[in-house]
Amino acid sequence: MASSAPATGPRRDPPGNATGAGLSTPVPPRGSGRRRRGRARMALNLTAMIDVVFLLLIYFMVATEFKLGEEIYRLDLPPRQPAAQLRDPFELDEEPLRIEVASTGYARGAYSLRIEGPYRQPASFEELFEFLRQRQITEHTVGGLFEPDHPMVIVPTRTTRWEHVIDVFNALARAHYTNVTFAKPR
Amino acid sequence: MSAVFKRGNAEVEANLTPMIDVTFLLIVFFVLVSRIVEVENVPMELPRPDQPETVRPGDEQRAVINVIPTGGGRASGYRLGSRTFPPGADGLETLADHLAGLYRANPGLRINLRADRATGYEWIEPVLAAVSSAAARVEVAAVVPRVNLVVITEE
Repeated sequence: MASSAPATGPRRDPPGNATGAGLSTPVPPRGSGRRRRGRARMALNLTAMIDVVFLLLIYFMVATEFKLGEEIYRLDLPPRQPAAQLRDPFELDEEPLRIEVASTGYARGAYSLRIEGPYRQPASFEELFEFLRQRQITEHTVGGLFEPDHPMVIVPTRTTRWEHVIDVFNALARAHYTNVTFAKPR
Repeated sequence: MSAVFKRGNAEVEANLTPMIDVTFLLIVFFVLVSRIVEVENVPMELPRPDQPETVRPGDEQRAVINVIPTGGGRASGYRLGSRTFPPGADGLETLADHLAGLYRANPGLRINLRADRATGYEWIEPVLAAVSSAAARVEVAAVVPRVNLVVITEE
């Protein structure tokens, strides 16, 4: 059985029909520069996806820009073992340098420092660092007192803010002392 | 007879299925990651030293102990993974037992210690003591109580 054109389909006028009646896409008048022939092309609208991709890109760029990184100080704690196992009985005691730190208020700069011994007392963490650096025995310093592995003990009070304890530790780390421990709170 | 009938203009529609797939994947990813980070890291203001002589965390195995701040320089407990240990002798003893178990499973474990910058030292020193105590309880001579003091630095 021969099939004819479906009666329900879109009726297509021959090209050049100026009326455009019944066309799926109206034919522009002559001279407009736009002509469409044949079926309408189907294209995926990517605008929304590009919007989302750009938003994600901006988000990650901004988040990376202002990200604050967590870093660490490495600290080996002294093992808790019987003293007889730890110490060589013929080894002389090496007197540790004890650095006391206390918070005197809630502000970042409210603290006090004290180094046990006949030393000029530092007024700031920077001065503490300078003292530690100048008193270290190295090839480049004269009059050094402490080897890099000299025992250093940080002695905070019970209420010393953790940031001030860390500042003392940082001064020791900057001066490259490697044998640092924490004392029980005063 | 064909069942396909076409009427009027051909409709152009974007296929939203891949976009929805991607969106759901992103949602699932962020939900999972944020939960893991929340469990491991309690929100707090870490110390921010000037000219920090710090290092970036390596790839070594580590456990994170958070000293949970409550304001006024005090702490309400210690968080290790999803467990919270109360302050005081009993809580610290339980913490040391738990850490000893971790050391037995992994003698090279490092402990990341996170504490708020305003927390008093009296709440933090017991954690250091618990770590030392846990290492001493393990019958492996190679266990050295290694602690990473976590601070924040501006990149």
